[in-house]
Parts: sequence; structure tokens; C-alpha cells
Amino acid sequence: MSIRICNLPFNSSFAPQPRARVSSRSTRVFARTENDTQQQQLNLSVLRFTFGIPGLDESYLPRWLGYGFGSLLLLNHFSASAPINEPQLRSEALGISLAAFSIALPYIGKFLKGSVVEQRTLPEEGEQVFVISSNIGDSLKEDLAWATYVLLRNTSTIAVLISIQGELCVRGYWNCPDQMSKAQLHDWFKKKVDEIGLADVKETLYFPQYEGSSASWDILPDGTRSLFVQPLIQDIYEPQKMDGFLLVASTAGYAYSDKDRAWIGAMAEKFRG
Amino acid sequence: MEARIILQIQILWNPNRQSFRRPCLHLPRFFIRASSSTSQKPRSYKGPKPSTNLVADFISRNDDLARSLPIYVGGASLLAVLFNRTVSGIAPVADASSSQSRADLLALGLAVTNLLTGLVWLSIRPKSITPVNPEGVDCKVVDSDLPTSIVSELLWGWESLKLATCCKSLVIVYNGICLIQIGMVAESPQDKKRVVVNTDKLMQGSVYRGVMKSKAQSYLANLSLYPGRSELPFLPANTQAVILQPLGDKGIAVIGGNTIRGFTSSDQAWISSIGEKLDATLGRYFVDSAEVSREKD
Repeated sequence: MSIRICNLPFNSSFAPQPRARVSSRSTRVFARTENDTQQQQLNLSVLRFTFGIPGLDESYLPRWLGYGFGSLLLLNHFSASAPINEPQLRSEALGISLAAFSIALPYIGKFLKGSVVEQRTLPEEGEQVFVISSNIGDSLKEDLAWATYVLLRNTSTIAVLISIQGELCVRGYWNCPDQMSKAQLHDWFKKKVDEIGLADVKETLYFPQYEGSSASWDILPDGTRSLFVQPLIQDIYEPQKMDGFLLVASTAGYAYSDKDRAWIGAMAEKFRG
Repeated sequence: MEARIILQIQILWNPNRQSFRRPCLHLPRFFIRASSSTSQKPRSYKGPKPSTNLVADFISRNDDLARSLPIYVGGASLLAVLFNRTVSGIAPVADASSSQSRADLLALGLAVTNLLTGLVWLSIRPKSITPVNPEGVDCKVVDSDLPTSIVSELLWGWESLKLATCCKSLVIVYNGICLIQIGMVAESPQDKKRVVVNTDKLMQGSVYRGVMKSKAQSYLANLSLYPGRSELPFLPANTQAVILQPLGDKGIAVIGGNTIRGFTSSDQAWISSIGEKLDATLGRYFVDSAEVSREKD
């Protein structure tokens, strides 16, 4: 079976409340699934403050107000005629700490249940790759192709790599050199993965705010913010021996909720043994 | 119609990773291990280790407290500003004349912002619904004629559903045969054993026909409100939610859950992907076996 590079249309990302956000870097891609009418009802919007301006995200309003009022407080403090009496200092201290708390509010709100998950953005340059090892049987190839496709479609993943006993299947947007033949690309990925030593990972790794790391991790596409690695266990009687791993990366922060990780673990179970 | 004997297969599927250690063998020293470059031990992992985010952990665990926190902070600072004013003997007049008043006004504005944010957070709290334990018997019945690869795929599907969703019962009917009936099953009142799936009755019912006609997944979020409930007698009586996933145009997967609206949209998408995969696998197997049986005749 030959290795081919195919272009997948990225449809169906899951947004219970999709919002349009203005972003200076890249455009965000939304599409709804055909199961829209059967979407689960989240009990939302009893009291929802909104300016009604499309594209404005009101959940960041406390942060802007915190910055604005905090700077006004400082202005007031420095333009006041000396000496500043104590009650004023007290209320200014209170005001500054309130401003700091307001600035932190959107960050806290992100971790509450029912908060809107950030959407993934597709990298602007670079093409999608689809590389699969030629040393494995056809049914396993089919399973790998299906698994990588489903991971890309059902989670906010933009890049997925599955390694089973050293043989790789790589799909999505990766930072790899172009003008390489598919077999060379497979070996290149294998070398990079060996450098990082991902085959030795014993438990799941989840980096919800990935900032970029050492040189060998540069195969990940630019703008990767979440990373999740799930090792494949070979044998339940020898939990220390790993059979391979499954790596997914996304450009959205905190992209993999508990449920997403449970499903990714279920996909990894398919390749066990 | 041949009578099929359905065997009960107990396949151990226990991904319990904690401690299943066997005593390791000590190889004698003179054993020469031939190692080639492809089979060397993998390099140890040298990448970053995930750090724990204390804030995120605290908030996820104390969701209610975190939601009402801005209200308390806003209310307390409101009172503090007024208290400060009275204690220092300045009249509580809200004008912007003195710098003290301006500072107080700004602090009040921030306190009100916090109060309103807290109210918004409280109003968008998702309703928590308690799961209901299904009443019935636990069962694991797989059709005996299936090859091991298909059986392991079906069992994998069941384990994933059990792990990732609120699914408690699974029944797959394909080509008129009940391939697997696993999880909690209704108990028949006559002989206290599991209710066998009557595939003919199921396939003639309106539920099955509706799903086959629409070729789309059907999510019954609250089964007690659904009149076609009587066509699924094999599910426990208090099953809360059901997903009916068509497998191509030859089969159906009935997935029962223990929580009303317990399957999220993400679950629905995953279930339809798994349904497509199962349809591809089962379809190929049944086509092959039909060809084989035709060749035999």
C-alpha cells in the first residue's frame, strides 16, 4: 500500500455556543455537524449580559474594566495634591486589589463547568500530511487511518501521531520538511520521536498550556497550545512495558476535557496488544 | 430460521494498570543477548513534565464556591468602602469633587462589576442530574458464530462506551441477528433471567424503522417521555437515555444510559463514528461469509 498525502476538509468542530471572535493572527474555522438538532441542551442563558455587538466577547469585560478603573485609580493617586490622607489610601488599596481580582476573573471563569471551550485555529501555512508505515498489515493500516481521522474530526486536534512498536502513523498539520518522499518522511518522524523518547512515557501527559519546548519538539506545528500523550500498554500483566503511544496536539488551550481524554484513551485501547 | 445457540463468553477485559506484576526472571549471566540496532531500549523520555495548576484544580473541585466568590468579594468591598467613609468622618456623598470621592467611586464601580459577574456565573451553572442505577441483571452475551476479531472489536466498543459515557447497556443487532447484548439487561419476571432480544419484533417496530429511514442517529434524551419505549423491552425499565445508532442500513446499536441527557454532543459524534466503523467491519464480514456460503452451495 502506498503512502499518500491527502487533504482532509476539517469539518465538525463541537461548539455548544459558537462565538465569533476577532483574531489578528488567523481565521477560525467553524462548521456544524449534521446532528445539530439533537444537540444536548445545556441550561444556559437565563441572565446573560451582552452589548449585542457581534464579535465582542463580554466574558472579558471584567478584565477590561479592571485595567481601566485600575489605571484611573493610579491617575487619581498621582494627581492628588499631597499629602494624601489615610482614608484615601485605604480606599485606593481596596480599589487596586479589586482591580487585580477583576483582571483575574476571566481566567478563573475558564475552569468552571459549562464554560465555552476555545476553538481551534488551523495553521496558515503548511499542508496536511498523512504518513503511514508500510511495514504493517492492511487491517492495522485501516484501523490507524480510521482512528486518526476520527481523532481529527471529533476533538479539536490538528495533529495526531500514533506509534505502535515503532511504526508510525502521522496525520494533520506538522512542521516537517517538504519535498521529502513519504518513506523518507516516515523515517524522519521516527528519528525525531526517538530523540524525544516518547516511546518511554509511562503515563498520560497533558499540557493544556504548551509554550514550546526544546529543539526536538519542533515537529509540532506553530501555535500548538495543548498537547496530550497517551501510552499504549502492551500487556496488562506487565504494566511497565509500553507498546507505543498516541499523541494529539491542538491550537486551542485547554482543548482536552476529561471526556475528550477518556475517549482518546478508549481509542488507544483499540491498538493494545 | 435456524435456531442459534448463543454462548456466554467471558472475556477478561480489565485495563487495570495498577499492579499486575509477575516475578521477573533472572537470566543467567552467560546468556548472550543478540541485540540489533532496531531493538534497543527506547531512550528515556527527556521532555517537559506536566505541572499541576493549583488554581484550575481548586476551581474544578469547588465549583459552587468559585461561582459565588465574586459576589462575596464585591459585596464585602462595597461595605468596606462605606465603612471607610463613615469611620474617617467624611460624609458619604457620591460626587467626584475630591480625590477621595473619586477613588471611592472607582472602587464601587469595580465592586459592582464583580457582583454582576458573580450573578452571571451563578445563572449559567449547568444543572447537575443524578444518575439512576439501572434495574436488571448484568449480562454478557455474544453471538457464538462470530470470529474473534469481530468479537474483540465489539467488546472494545462496549468498553469505550462504558468508560467514556454514561452508557450502561448495549445491544447490537445486525442482519437480523442479535450480535451482542451486554451490560445491564432487564430481568424477565417469569424466570428471573435476562430478557432475550426479539430481533423480529424489534425490526418490525416503529423505532427501528424510523431510525433506518432517517439513516441518522436518534438520541432519546429522556426515555420515560418516549412512547416507543415498549419496543425496547430488553433495556432495564429505568434506563434514562437511549441512543439509537444505525449501522449502515442493516443494523442498529441500542445504547442505554443512566442519566437524563447524559450523552453530550461530543459523545454523540464519537458514537456515530464508532457506528460507521462497526458497520464497515460487520458489513465486510457478512458479505464474505455470504459469499463463502454461496460457494458451498
